[in-house]
Amino acid sequence: MIIVNPRKCSGCLRCQVNCSFFHTGSVGRSRSRVKVVKIEGMGIDYPVLCRQCEERFCTRCPESAIEIGPYGQVIVSPTLCVSCGTCETLCPIGAIELFEDIPYVCDLCGGEPRCVMECNMGAIEYEPDSNELVSLQPFKEGARGQSPEAKRIRYALEMTKGMREQWKSSVGG
Amino acid sequence: MLYGYSGHILRVDLSSGKIIREKSDPHYMLKAIGGRGLNSLRLYDELRRDIDPLSPENILLIGVGPLTGSLLSSSAYMTISGKSPMTGILGDSAAGGFFGPELKQAGYDQIIITGKADKPCYLLIADDHVEIKEASHLWGSDIWQTTSAIRQELTDNAFQIAAIGPAGENLVKFATVACNNSRMFGRTGMGCLFGSKNLKAIAVRGTTPVSIADTLTYMDLCRELDRRILAHPEWNDRHALGSTLLMKALNNIGILPTNHFQKGVCEYVDKISGQELAEKFKVKNKSCFNCNIHCSRYYITGDVESEGPEFETLCSYSSRIGVDDLHFTLKMAAYLNRMGIDALSSGETIGWAMECFQRGLLNKDDVDGLDFTWGNKETIEEILGLIVQRKGVGDAFAEGTRSLSTKFGRGSEKYALHVKGLDIICGDPRGIKAFGLTYAIASRGADHLRAEPFFELTERYDEAEKRWGIRDIANRLSNNGKAVLVEYTERQALLTDCMTMCKNIGLSMDILDFDLAGRLLKAGTGLNFTPERVEKSLRGIIDADRKMNIDFGIDASMDTLPRRFTHESLEEGPSKGQVVPIKEMVKEYYRLRGWDEEGRPA
Repeated sequence: MIIVNPRKCSGCLRCQVNCSFFHTGSVGRSRSRVKVVKIEGMGIDYPVLCRQCEERFCTRCPESAIEIGPYGQVIVSPTLCVSCGTCETLCPIGAIELFEDIPYVCDLCGGEPRCVMECNMGAIEYEPDSNELVSLQPFKEGARGQSPEAKRIRYALEMTKGMREQWKSSVGG
Repeated sequence: MLYGYSGHILRVDLSSGKIIREKSDPHYMLKAIGGRGLNSLRLYDELRRDIDPLSPENILLIGVGPLTGSLLSSSAYMTISGKSPMTGILGDSAAGGFFGPELKQAGYDQIIITGKADKPCYLLIADDHVEIKEASHLWGSDIWQTTSAIRQELTDNAFQIAAIGPAGENLVKFATVACNNSRMFGRTGMGCLFGSKNLKAIAVRGTTPVSIADTLTYMDLCRELDRRILAHPEWNDRHALGSTLLMKALNNIGILPTNHFQKGVCEYVDKISGQELAEKFKVKNKSCFNCNIHCSRYYITGDVESEGPEFETLCSYSSRIGVDDLHFTLKMAAYLNRMGIDALSSGETIGWAMECFQRGLLNKDDVDGLDFTWGNKETIEEILGLIVQRKGVGDAFAEGTRSLSTKFGRGSEKYALHVKGLDIICGDPRGIKAFGLTYAIASRGADHLRAEPFFELTERYDEAEKRWGIRDIANRLSNNGKAVLVEYTERQALLTDCMTMCKNIGLSMDILDFDLAGRLLKAGTGLNFTPERVEKSLRGIIDADRKMNIDFGIDASMDTLPRRFTHESLEEGPSKGQVVPIKEMVKEYYRLRGWDEEGRPA
């Protein structure tokens, strides 16, 4: 799975830029499968992408268009998908988002994630052999009706609480 | 379709409310390229020269380039231009962050704003949807508050906001515009220009990706550029400290402005250095869009937290005005960013006042009882508050040092360190001769970024010999060949601005050359950007800027430096005994530029 370390993330968006470029040949946030949340006033930069979670909420697709691939990646069938947006609604952290009727979600680039290759901060790392399972159940609460961006912000804030506490105690010495 | 370019220009007239979306003209783009070049040519073609900069007739331009927001590293920049309220000549300021790339995705290469709204407003751009929105409820808010208030109002955190603070609203002549809270369009008073149009902010959100003509070639060229950046000998220091590394670096060569350029060596530099800042207050690296150096920093002190500061702010509010307290400097940096004031120009008004106090030219009675003793922190805080609100003596300070010193007279004009009304940056030109020439001839006044001839600091003697046949070019204390260097780096700087890359990378690190740039532009746009075409365009833009400035009243007598740098030598340190022989250098520069002896293009 992909591990994000917000302490190291500078918010440069190279993950987002390269994800978009190597999947579509063009650069834009709407075409990227990783989206960096930036909260300038708190110094938070957090790349949000599919955690290959334990629950696999997105696989409850009514059209059965979503399956899990050999690396644990989410695979969306372009022929079965009817762009209903259920996967976007179900994902509690905003890691799937439709743009122009196509669901954008991390596919792990076939086992060699571009975002990881391009991050020279070490803020995104890939551990293909990790057996650890991440539960996103706690993020389900309050997720209903939220936009993907709002869900990403909630997630980023929660995941960086400890970082902010540690920052405050470490400076000025 | 156009590649690279978004393909549209947005015209907004705030007086009538009329909004027009027109196609970008590829022939025009070949001449203008993008960013600063595009803005300069637009002003040259459309600006009435004799207008008051604060009048509705002034044009406010926001320009990005064909490669902004693309795979190209550090393609983050954009330029804001107009007739400067600060200087009355060409005004422009560039910054990185994330606004420029977002504007590209919204589908625009340039925004052209004219007129004046009858009440405070902000401009909302969401792809094709463009709207002038009421902003009375935001008037009076600082930049950080405004940025988050607009995002909340639009219920979308992904909007990029460029905003002014109270200083811009109150028409402080050196008011700034900021995006992402801390990326500042600092110089020449573009925030004042926003304020004069009752324009509080621009909010932009775009969903159209940036498309490239020859994707595979472009990718290879971007990778080549990345290799140059990552292999650069300065990468580690720039990554760790960013521009704040200059505090110690400039001090080591005796050109760190101390007590308003009376000294070039600061004995307490270790208390205010970039290293000290990194060790005590930095919590992580920050970055502009798509950069692989990440030279910016996030800091937390007990009082404030923010991204930044850059060297010019750090020095302007420490050694330049006699402050040895880094904690205080950071507090001021955050205050300047929130209120929207340029650190350099505000710092120069304070430095001027402090030197005038030292020399007995001013006393407390002249300045509302304020005590401008070197490093007086209470006075610094108080005068900034007065400047932002234009209260009391702050009203005169808010006009900038040139006007302020003329008002007080008594010989204090001699200590106003500016060229053409723009205050001098933090680098004593007496120990860096090519920089001296740059300040003198830069088309927006005393500014290093118009040419940033960093090469003279690198001691790359063999490379100097190879490129220009003059070894002295790599010797900072020599004036030999410096006009040759500045003529070259002035074009390199403009090229970097047109491609909207970071000038630290393209220029200071000497990463960008005309051949690589031509190939990037050609692969990016599919237009016939040969290296020759690019060169011709750059020379054309530099000449157009000059002609426009001549129309604004600039002549050869103004291409000079304050007397301090040409006649008073530094008394100690590694640049001891030096002055800038500016006349000969300017003359040589005109000749190389192909201008006549009065500095007029053909």
